[in-house]
Amino acid sequence: MIKFSNVSLIYPNSTTTVIEDLNLEIAEGELVLVIGPTGSGKSSLLRLINGLVPHHTGGILAGSIEVDGISTAQVKPGGLAHLIGIVGQNPINGFVADTVEEELVFGMEALNLSNETMRKRVEEVLDLMSLAALRTRSIATLSGGEQQRVAIASALVAHPKVLVLDEPTSALDPIAAEEVLSILHRLVHDLSLTVVIAEHKLERVIQFADRIVHINGAGSAVVGTPEQILMNSPIAPPIVELARTLGLKEIGVSVREMRRMTQEFRDSHAVTKPDAPTSSTKACVSVKGLTISYGAKNAVNSLSVTIYENEIVAIMGRNGAGKSSLLRAIAGVSDTASGEVIVNGTNSQKLHSKQRRESVGYIPQEPSDLLYGQSVSEECKQADEDNQVEAGTTFSLLTQLVPGISGNTHPRDLSEGQRLGLALSVVLSANPRLLILDEPTRGLDYQAKRVLIKMLVDFARVFNRSVIIATHDVELVAELATRTIFIADGDIVADGPTIDVLLSSPAFAPQVSKIMSPQPWLTVADVVRAIETTI
Amino acid sequence: MKKLSFHPLTWWIFSGAVAVAIARANSPVFAIAAVGVMAVIVFSQRDDAPWGRSFNATLKLSLWIISIRALIGVLIGVPIPGTTLFTIPTLPLPAWMPGIRIGGAVTLERLNSSISEGIIICAILVVFGAAASLTSPHRLLRVLPIYLYEFGITVVIATSVLPQLVSAVTRIRMAQRLRGQRTHGIKAFKRIALPLLEESLARSLDLAAAMESRGYGISKKRSKYRPIKWARVDIAVVIAGLAVVGLS
Repeated sequence: MIKFSNVSLIYPNSTTTVIEDLNLEIAEGELVLVIGPTGSGKSSLLRLINGLVPHHTGGILAGSIEVDGISTAQVKPGGLAHLIGIVGQNPINGFVADTVEEELVFGMEALNLSNETMRKRVEEVLDLMSLAALRTRSIATLSGGEQQRVAIASALVAHPKVLVLDEPTSALDPIAAEEVLSILHRLVHDLSLTVVIAEHKLERVIQFADRIVHINGAGSAVVGTPEQILMNSPIAPPIVELARTLGLKEIGVSVREMRRMTQEFRDSHAVTKPDAPTSSTKACVSVKGLTISYGAKNAVNSLSVTIYENEIVAIMGRNGAGKSSLLRAIAGVSDTASGEVIVNGTNSQKLHSKQRRESVGYIPQEPSDLLYGQSVSEECKQADEDNQVEAGTTFSLLTQLVPGISGNTHPRDLSEGQRLGLALSVVLSANPRLLILDEPTRGLDYQAKRVLIKMLVDFARVFNRSVIIATHDVELVAELATRTIFIADGDIVADGPTIDVLLSSPAFAPQVSKIMSPQPWLTVADVVRAIETTI
Repeated sequence: MKKLSFHPLTWWIFSGAVAVAIARANSPVFAIAAVGVMAVIVFSQRDDAPWGRSFNATLKLSLWIISIRALIGVLIGVPIPGTTLFTIPTLPLPAWMPGIRIGGAVTLERLNSSISEGIIICAILVVFGAAASLTSPHRLLRVLPIYLYEFGITVVIATSVLPQLVSAVTRIRMAQRLRGQRTHGIKAFKRIALPLLEESLARSLDLAAAMESRGYGISKKRSKYRPIKWARVDIAVVIAGLAVVGLS
């Protein structure tokens, strides 16, 4: 269905090749996963399929790409619209209409399909993606998962033979992500649709993939079955790391397979309950009766919580549950909040300039919102001056976090992970007593995530600081958080040590715990510790 | 007041007509009255959508334009004789620049003329801001003929990305406030403008790419799923607009 022959790609004004001499053939009805570190050219590869690269972006393409026998060099992306459906990283940026129904028909109207065909297909796709109840809703009011479904539906409605998705689950909570993936799985099996997905959160998609394309960042790519690729790849989800740690001869990609393989190991260890982590009793943040409302709707209902020093608190919950609103109110920049938020003895609304920087550090969902300098070194210098610390402090923080960034680089040219690193070092240079991160792992690969985890743990333990983090990433929570708060519709529904909260809900349980149940182990590190104590 | 559903071109035609009338009448009183009427329509009929805020944005922009124009009109330019309000020191200029002076006596007439010109220009701007507030850019695109392809893409990008930027400003401002920075003044403007520009470019490219990959502009003809029809109320509004032009 898709055939890459000797494909190389260079972007204008760039000296490195994004893709070099790639040969790849994808058959009809295959689900292919594209993996690689951030900034390695996964998105470029996806956009090559329908010719957005290089038709839309510029760049030099060598070799040929054929989709269903049509060469992308001959046709513009629009000419392939009936053949390829593409869903971008941020579906909200690609919506062209106001309501779900109008969005679905946009592509068909452009292709000049007859009215009867359109009516039939709209009904079909509404049922297929379970969107019938939302047909007249305004797109802006939908949740992240619903928007993702609408985006997929509007690609499917043109009856394409190929569906291309760029990180379809990165912004979704675990349940919404599972829903989207199982729909894709069904499409592949029922309609023999060819699907190409790029995704960082391998633990979510790996079990659905037929083959993996691994781009290693230096332009070369390897193609193979998940087992072949993951055996030695540096990019590995917890499930694979577990197999490696236990020294299994083969790796399993689904929980079911792995449970069979580890039966013996599980039985040989007695079930032990781990000690609850000890935390300080000195409060860092105390929230009392916090209510945040937008119009008639309450994002947070009269919520009270206390967060102590050296705690790492994860806030989880569905898309739109009020996590970001809560974080903003704790940081003291929510204008619609009523109630009391005390951070280190001061009302957080009243903090300003230096006092604010030293008291609360905040990394927003888009870390680039914090950055405005023309270069990395300018940004670091500004932070040094603002916080009256020795010149070079911020930059050395940055090199610890993400080594190898040149000071002359423009912040815009950094990869997702590097940009987060820069924003973090700017914020941390003030040495705040409380650090808040809103969805920090979107677009981060496993390596960048490991660095982030180590850094946050050090920050909390060594400096006795508190960290609050809102995220959908269960694996991150398992590795990092000492306490987890679960929010639904603006109310706290669960609050306790991470291990209790995560294990009590199957949807939010990390992979390792699903495999190792009933053992109370959340991460590979927990398993290693258990092995060591029994010897 | 009940919200009515209008044809996407209705308010653009009406605003165009009112703008022509404002220019023809050349009277600040008429201009202000027109802005008032548009404000009533906007506040009762606009959707709670990102583009709904364009009216407020153009209003704010207008206040800036009027005050800057008034300031420049007072400082530089051809003096108009009349009642002197106050006098500021004159900057001596070389002899080859006759008729122009910087500083000097500020007359009521001079101030008056520059403010009223400002009001007329800004009223035209605000009237179009009102049309943008009242019309969904996406629906507008659906009624535009396909041979306006390039224009269509531009309109959609400008009208759907720009309002989203209004919310991006709020977001970036909040982030900068969290970094303990001031969010007003010239320095702050630079700090906000840069990330904003970056984001608007990225968003525009995303949207254009999405439209292109869904086949926009490929077929010369475009079918209509639910054709948008002209209703009686639309015709009434358009006739009212034309009447305003005729009477001005």
